[in-house]
Amino acid sequence: MKDTSVSYGRRAASYWFADGFPEILFGLALVIMAALMFLWRLYLPKPWIRFDWMIVAAGFILYYLMERRVLDFLKSHFTYPRTGYVQPPEEVPRPVQTVTTLSLRPGPPAKENVTSFQWRTVMLVFWFCYPFILNGNPLGRWAVPVLTPALAITLFAVNRRSEHPYRWWSALILGLTGLVFVWVDVPASLQRPLPLLLAGGWLLAQGGCTLVHYLRANPYPRAPEGVRA
Amino acid sequence: MSQRAQQIAQLDRVIHEPARLTIMLILYGVSEADFLYLQREGGFTQGNLSGHLAKLEEAGYVEIEKKFKGKVPLTVCRLTGAGKAAFSGYSQRMLGLLKSDGSPG
Repeated sequence: MKDTSVSYGRRAASYWFADGFPEILFGLALVIMAALMFLWRLYLPKPWIRFDWMIVAAGFILYYLMERRVLDFLKSHFTYPRTGYVQPPEEVPRPVQTVTTLSLRPGPPAKENVTSFQWRTVMLVFWFCYPFILNGNPLGRWAVPVLTPALAITLFAVNRRSEHPYRWWSALILGLTGLVFVWVDVPASLQRPLPLLLAGGWLLAQGGCTLVHYLRANPYPRAPEGVRA
Repeated sequence: MSQRAQQIAQLDRVIHEPARLTIMLILYGVSEADFLYLQREGGFTQGNLSGHLAKLEEAGYVEIEKKFKGKVPLTVCRLTGAGKAAFSGYSQRMLGLLKSDGSPG
């Protein structure tokens, strides 16, 4: 029997992140948004360039609407039935005090949900990239070296106790990647999509490593299950 | 019969069995879970889990839906409204018993 010192709801939520697909999907979305922004700035006439924020806005809205369905598709086609299937609880307030007491956890009930990813990672990336997306970025070329390490530290700190914490060295890599742009001069057309590209690439790498580890640790079961009852 | 003995006798026997209590506890914490997940989390054998799920389904506490995920069959289990209410009532009654005088801790 598995360790049940962590409540079942939280275990189910951690299952949701076990294969790295949430990071891969969001990372991919960010990279695509960055690529589209870059192409927009490269090929569209000047009056249209300042409307590149629309790509990011549309991208985030589309991601928000489609995330759960796409994740479900990916999980069912690539990782199911290695560790089974569970739909963790949504972030809805409900009285779960009795469950907590029975699971012998001394602390207060954990936030047992999967929507925390959208608040702790997706929204953080959005708000950190916001200064770049709109015109009149006050930090200029210093924006990437200043904000990328700040984003890395915040992502690490905020997710530290969540169902999908990031490793400190992984956050360090993201921070250092941002600092590289103190010395590297980036063309103007690439400056605005750059934070999205960095965050997306980092999340893709993060999710990719998790997926490889998951596939190696959980081989495909020989006989699929079924209820005979 | 003492009041405490009466309270113990009123405990829901369908849920009170340890394996079924584990299943209810897992399903209460999630929206839905499949057979394999329950088997892994609870440490059940396939036959054992099937039997207990059948009893819970018979009592109206669990609903079982068979569908496909991609090309793989998927047996999804979730608590019904009656199941949630029964588990909530059971846990409150149990806690009341454990908290009353003379209990350890």
